[in-house]
Amino acid sequence: MTDSDQGSERVDVDRQTDHGPADQELTGGQRRAERRVGVALAVAILAGVGLFVVYFAGGQTQIEGVLFAVAFGGLGVALGIWANHLLDAREVVEERHELTSGPAGRAAFEMALTEEVGPVIGRRSMLLKLLAGAGGALGLALLLPVLSLGPAPGDSLKTTPWRRGSRVVDEEGEPVQLNQVPLNGFLTVFPEGHTGAADAQTLLIHVRPGSLKLPPDLMAGVPDGTHVAYSKICTHAGCPVGLYRAESQSLICPCHQSQFDVSDGAKPFFGPAARPLPQLLLGVDDENVLVAQGDFTAPVGPAFWDRGR
Amino acid sequence: MMVERSLKYLDERLGTASLARKTLRKVFPDHWSFLLGEIALFALVVLIFTGTFLTFFYTPSVQEVVYNGPYAPLQGAEVSAAYNSVLRLSFEVRAGLLMRQTHHWAALVFVAAIVVHLCRIFFTGAFRRPREVNWIIGILLLFLALGEGFTGYSLPDDLLSGIGLRIFYAVTLAIPVIGTWVTYLLFGGEFPAPDIISRLFVFHIMLIPALLLALVGAHMAILVLQKHTQFPGHGRSERNVVGKRLWPEQTFKSVSLLLFTTAVLALLGGLAQINPVWQYGPFVAYNVSSPAQPDWYIGFLDGALRLGPPWDLTLWGFTISEVFWPAILFPGIAFGILTLWPWIERRFTKDRAEHHLLDRPRDTPVRTGIGAAGLMVFFIMFMEGGNDIFGVLLNVPVETVTRILQWSLLIAPILTFLVTYWICKSLSRTQLRPAHITAGVRLTRTHDGGYETVPLEPAEAEEKLEPEPAEP
Amino acid sequence: MRRTAILLGGVAVLALLLTPATGAATAPGAARAAAAGQPDSPALDARGRELYQNACASCHGPDPAGPSYYPTVPSLKNVGGAAAVNWALRTGRMPWKDNKGPAIERGEPRFNEEDTRALVDYIGKAVGDAQIPDVDPARGDLQRGRELYGQACAACHGMNGAGAALGGDNIAVSLQDVHPQDVAEAIKIGPGQMPVGGGLADYEFGTAQSRQEVDDIAAYVESLRTTPYNEGGAPIGGKGPVPEGFVAWVIGLGLLVVAARWIAGRG
Repeated sequence: MTDSDQGSERVDVDRQTDHGPADQELTGGQRRAERRVGVALAVAILAGVGLFVVYFAGGQTQIEGVLFAVAFGGLGVALGIWANHLLDAREVVEERHELTSGPAGRAAFEMALTEEVGPVIGRRSMLLKLLAGAGGALGLALLLPVLSLGPAPGDSLKTTPWRRGSRVVDEEGEPVQLNQVPLNGFLTVFPEGHTGAADAQTLLIHVRPGSLKLPPDLMAGVPDGTHVAYSKICTHAGCPVGLYRAESQSLICPCHQSQFDVSDGAKPFFGPAARPLPQLLLGVDDENVLVAQGDFTAPVGPAFWDRGR
Repeated sequence: MMVERSLKYLDERLGTASLARKTLRKVFPDHWSFLLGEIALFALVVLIFTGTFLTFFYTPSVQEVVYNGPYAPLQGAEVSAAYNSVLRLSFEVRAGLLMRQTHHWAALVFVAAIVVHLCRIFFTGAFRRPREVNWIIGILLLFLALGEGFTGYSLPDDLLSGIGLRIFYAVTLAIPVIGTWVTYLLFGGEFPAPDIISRLFVFHIMLIPALLLALVGAHMAILVLQKHTQFPGHGRSERNVVGKRLWPEQTFKSVSLLLFTTAVLALLGGLAQINPVWQYGPFVAYNVSSPAQPDWYIGFLDGALRLGPPWDLTLWGFTISEVFWPAILFPGIAFGILTLWPWIERRFTKDRAEHHLLDRPRDTPVRTGIGAAGLMVFFIMFMEGGNDIFGVLLNVPVETVTRILQWSLLIAPILTFLVTYWICKSLSRTQLRPAHITAGVRLTRTHDGGYETVPLEPAEAEEKLEPEPAEP
Repeated sequence: MRRTAILLGGVAVLALLLTPATGAATAPGAARAAAAGQPDSPALDARGRELYQNACASCHGPDPAGPSYYPTVPSLKNVGGAAAVNWALRTGRMPWKDNKGPAIERGEPRFNEEDTRALVDYIGKAVGDAQIPDVDPARGDLQRGRELYGQACAACHGMNGAGAALGGDNIAVSLQDVHPQDVAEAIKIGPGQMPVGGGLADYEFGTAQSRQEVDDIAAYVESLRTTPYNEGGAPIGGKGPVPEGFVAWVIGLGLLVVAARWIAGRG
């Protein structure tokens, strides 16, 4: 630590104050402070006893909190008054030590470091290079287990369990039929067999007839012209966009307020999202149950580096 | 008698007496703002004690179990073991809810205290040579505190924190080139991979705390080694430290502050409900609850995401997410500047001297202005993090709040700088200095490394009451 | 939206000037659910017609099933029948009390129970949908209600029912102090931006399953009011981390800075 730690310590037992023992000459202020400290400590004791009572009576969060606060606070007040009124709080001046060891000290350190390691270092630098190489190779090899922490991403971010012919089911796994969702209503749906799958969550919205503005190829995936389905995962940061405003036929994300126009391909019209919610093209099977025509029109959820590849 | 004997025992084996004596006589400047860092330290103490208690009850697992505790709306529901254990801790473990809430409040106050401590260091120039190393350590501590807070926030596996985790996942995905790999290695696969809760637990109770405590130790060891800075005043110079000794004054004061910190946090923990996860319900990947916010210290990032422009880029088929600008680039630049500030400032001031006397913020108007502008940037983002709450509160559409804050982000920092600069200039023109009385003893180092106390002459003490000549 | 509100405000002033005040006497909270299937009574019909002509016709037109007078005022034919009328009257949203604020804002009910029933019955019959939901939280299953609420309602209203901003002037109202009847009617009619069926899987008014699900949800919403489980202390708004952060800074750190100043003393 500091250089004062070395060297001989001068054992001076000088009294730092010329005050006598505290009980001999208390001033009026000190006597008042002493009383206040006493009261604070007594309050702390009472609160501590109270904690015992409350705990064994079954506990009550609010009373416990207050009693803890009073107990700790009482002690804190007591020590604070003690420090400011009952201690001989005089200001003292301490000199700083030079932090640096100086050039001579550094040179001595270098000597200590190098003088006994022998001739190899410095002369045969080849060995040093190999040492560094061995260390590096081992270091990298030791990093390999990090790769075991997770699977390779592969295409998993670009695909969901939706397949051509997947039947649309609700949160309970029940198949959803055309017109089952009331007009101006909506429902969170999944592909059959994957109920609750995080990346397959989809909003099925029953919009007002004639209100959709979609190109014909996308309109072909909207049964009855009114049952449109979009990914429920926000394209911005991945929150479930579960807030449907039926009157304006728009969605708003609760996390960052990106807003998507359901009538117009779920394109974002306010907020930080840059891409529309991918659409799920639907059809109807012979039992009038909604089925998917395939996976979403684009990778769902937030953007990632090779999203477009 | 006992004390004397044990002191003798230890001293004969470890030589503790002289070391301890020197430590006890260390001098600390007695300014309240020097206690801000101590508040953070004591909040950390509370965090460790309450956190240890919580660990005894928490189960870091997403295994599905059936809830059958006293919270009626959830009885019979399938929830994760993690969520179940947090509910059990809250409702069935005596004093458990108090511990949990105190822990959470302590986390919020911990980071807040770090931030105000950082402000004190910045605005008074305490980061200057020779304290750059401790500045860096301090910044690292801030990062670790943020990481510790976020991992802890996510552990209950409730609906709200699940959404937070989901956003964090989107942010790591947005890292260019390696984003998907980093994300999959961190989360253990596509969201919501089952490993994430147990991994967060390891981060929260082992990796980050270990680093945090090691760096706190280094932070304080360096503080002791380099001694405190001090505000300029009579009798204070670059060559000395004027203040109170560690024993008894500072010890009494610090312990008193530790007790107060505990008291305030226990009071909040008992009276103010925080993160009622039973109300939010267990995490379900396709459910969401409004409003959705992170804890305040991540609020600036969430606000940045809300303010961010809807710009994604596709270059040669590769995508740069719109999340990249506000959540990776902005914090990267902002915290980069903060971390390198001692060197950035030195480039302009060419000041390489050692400094132990602090600047008054008014005397360094450029630094103070830049600092205030930086704080304004973070404050605007923080406010935007609650745009929906403020919108409802003020009866204004969230879109309006966002637009106003987007413009503010462009304009307010510049205005803040100018106004702060002007205020500093005006203040220093008044040439007022608070008078300061110093009286008592002087501790002088002797040639052989010991100390001597010299009582100040009355005349000397009197002289110190004279106002110092004003700066040119 | 704002412009609509102003326009509606102007309309309301006109309406108030032209309409003699009637039937406004009501005891607080007196008007509650009118059960469906009241026996026909000519006196009730006459009272309903009279009230309609006095309180509603100046905006919604002389015939409830016909067009309204103003483009910004909906014809009652399309608002959701008797359930919508009952919902609007009981929650004080209609008749529009003054020219301030959106017409859809909650307020004190203006009609007593009997007059409400007369009006609801009259308009319901006129538009051909006289059905009013029959809801009872006591019949509902609290746990199932919480689950359904989480799937269908929580996105906008929040799991603890505190409500949230929905962009623009739209706000999902707090459900912490609403009557179960409000819940059932809102699910049926989808008022304002609220989706019809509220996001329930196969909501169809009148079916046993839907009635049960609405009872379940009502049981959960009712529990938010009667037993909100704020075991942790003051809920500070129930809006999560934003108010919590302010408390941490202002009360938590604020108190500690005061303590630090006091401890540091006159040093």
